[in-house]
Amino acid sequence: MNRATAGLSAAAVLCLCGALLFYNEETTYERQNADPYMVAAQAERLAPLAAAVPRDAVLGYITDAPGGPADTAMFTAAEYTLAPRLIERSANHEWVLGNFTHPGDFFAYAKDGLMLQRDFGNGVVLYRRAGKP
Amino acid sequence: MTELFWVVWAIVLGVTLSFALGGFAALRPRWAGILVASGAGAAGGIGLSALFYYIGALRGSETLAIAMELTAICGGAFLAWMRRWPRTAEASGSGGLKLTFAGAVALLLVIVTLAFAAAWQSNPQGNWDAWAIWNMRARYLAAGDGFAARAWSPVLGAASHPEYPLLLSSFIASCWAFSHSASELAPIATGYVFFLALLAMVTGGVAALRGPVLGLAAGLVLLASPALLREAPAQYADVPLACYMAGAMVLAMLDRPVFAGILAGFAAWTKDEGLLFLAIFLVVSAVIKRRAAILAVAGALPVALVAVAFKLSLPRMATSFTGVSGGGLASRAADFSRAGIILAAFGREIAAMSTSWYHPVLPLIALGVACGLERERLRAAAYSGSVALLLLLGYFGIFLVTGYDLSGNSIRRSAGCWSRSGRYLS
Repeated sequence: MNRATAGLSAAAVLCLCGALLFYNEETTYERQNADPYMVAAQAERLAPLAAAVPRDAVLGYITDAPGGPADTAMFTAAEYTLAPRLIERSANHEWVLGNFTHPGDFFAYAKDGLMLQRDFGNGVVLYRRAGKP
Repeated sequence: MTELFWVVWAIVLGVTLSFALGGFAALRPRWAGILVASGAGAAGGIGLSALFYYIGALRGSETLAIAMELTAICGGAFLAWMRRWPRTAEASGSGGLKLTFAGAVALLLVIVTLAFAAAWQSNPQGNWDAWAIWNMRARYLAAGDGFAARAWSPVLGAASHPEYPLLLSSFIASCWAFSHSASELAPIATGYVFFLALLAMVTGGVAALRGPVLGLAAGLVLLASPALLREAPAQYADVPLACYMAGAMVLAMLDRPVFAGILAGFAAWTKDEGLLFLAIFLVVSAVIKRRAAILAVAGALPVALVAVAFKLSLPRMATSFTGVSGGGLASRAADFSRAGIILAAFGREIAAMSTSWYHPVLPLIALGVACGLERERLRAAAYSGSVALLLLLGYFGIFLVTGYDLSGNSIRRSAGCWSRSGRYLS
């Protein structure tokens, strides 16, 4: 066996090892990390709200989630699920999505002209600004 | 399932055009020419479909996109029929080793596809960037009724990067809009096709340049690169970008400058890093391959203009390197601690390309020992090495002089992006 054949064979064996190690790593990781941001669950959770809000709406957004990665994930997953509606972190819109992590007094957020339109359960609440048709 | 029809449609579009116009029939061995033509065609077809859909979406007409695709595919089919590939006998050398390596490529492709399948099953919506950026913006582009502009609306929020280029989102949107479905099949299939196209172009390209066994060995190295493999089922734009970048380099070295330019242009329409790659690719081509550079510019120009026009039309946003504030630029450039942080991040990212004890540099060392560097290959090595090195320096410079948060995700992604795509250029 000359140097070239030996080197090529060594490279091929190393690549086979690498692919097998990757397979092991990837399958283990995926078993333990299925949908970590629960994006798929948002489609069902937010479906009733999506049906109640027009497609061209720009929704406001209020939440009880403390700032941080979980809050960003909740907001972004809601935005992804409700597209083509846009969502803005502000209560100053006709339609406002309440996206809550815990049960609570959702009426407490209905102030400055904002009315609780409907509580869809699972922490999903739709507010609407008074005076809008 | 109808989304898959539109993925296949785009591949047929591109492959027809590449077989008709690419002149890949001249490449030897013949299977290398077929691989390069198929890979470039698949990636180019997706890029072309995305471009047509984006133009159609701007005009509020999906029909326009389909009409443009149909015209291109008919023209390509006619030209392909006119220029049928000649059937010629080939000399076969190193048959046993070649067959062994071909078998190994097939085996590794099965192994990594099974690993991808585990990811597709547990995370069909992809990882964070997939649903928070690329697929989300695809949803706006696919929605019709004038909603396309929401894909780059500042209201979208920083986490969704409305300023990022739109090739991947536009293509997924076209599949969703034409099939009237928004399932995960389209982005999953798109990610896999880009991975296969990258594999085909690198394997076929190296086979045509350096011989069949080394081509197959290059394919093996790609199929055993954990950092690349992790991204393929994630549905990120990094693998499409790597595909366009590597494809442009392979085609440039195969003296197909127009096609190389087209793929480099698509890179610029895929990610911000692609804009930097396009600039470097054209500059290095102008220095090393002067005549070819003009043709590469001609190939890249149409898509690059769309990418640049998109960037210039955006309101000033803070997270794109074309929109980053120049305030404090000099002080950041002179900040040695900042340079140290960036270098450390790049080092960490290159080290993290491994899995367990295996690092993809190991088979490259074995191949280096086996083949060495022939004197007549120095020019090609200088060409691809210069692009890879300048790309790395470019990323470094951007992080050095802009106000990016160095503790954040972007430096990890850019360093990782280079390690996945730039390294393979050399």
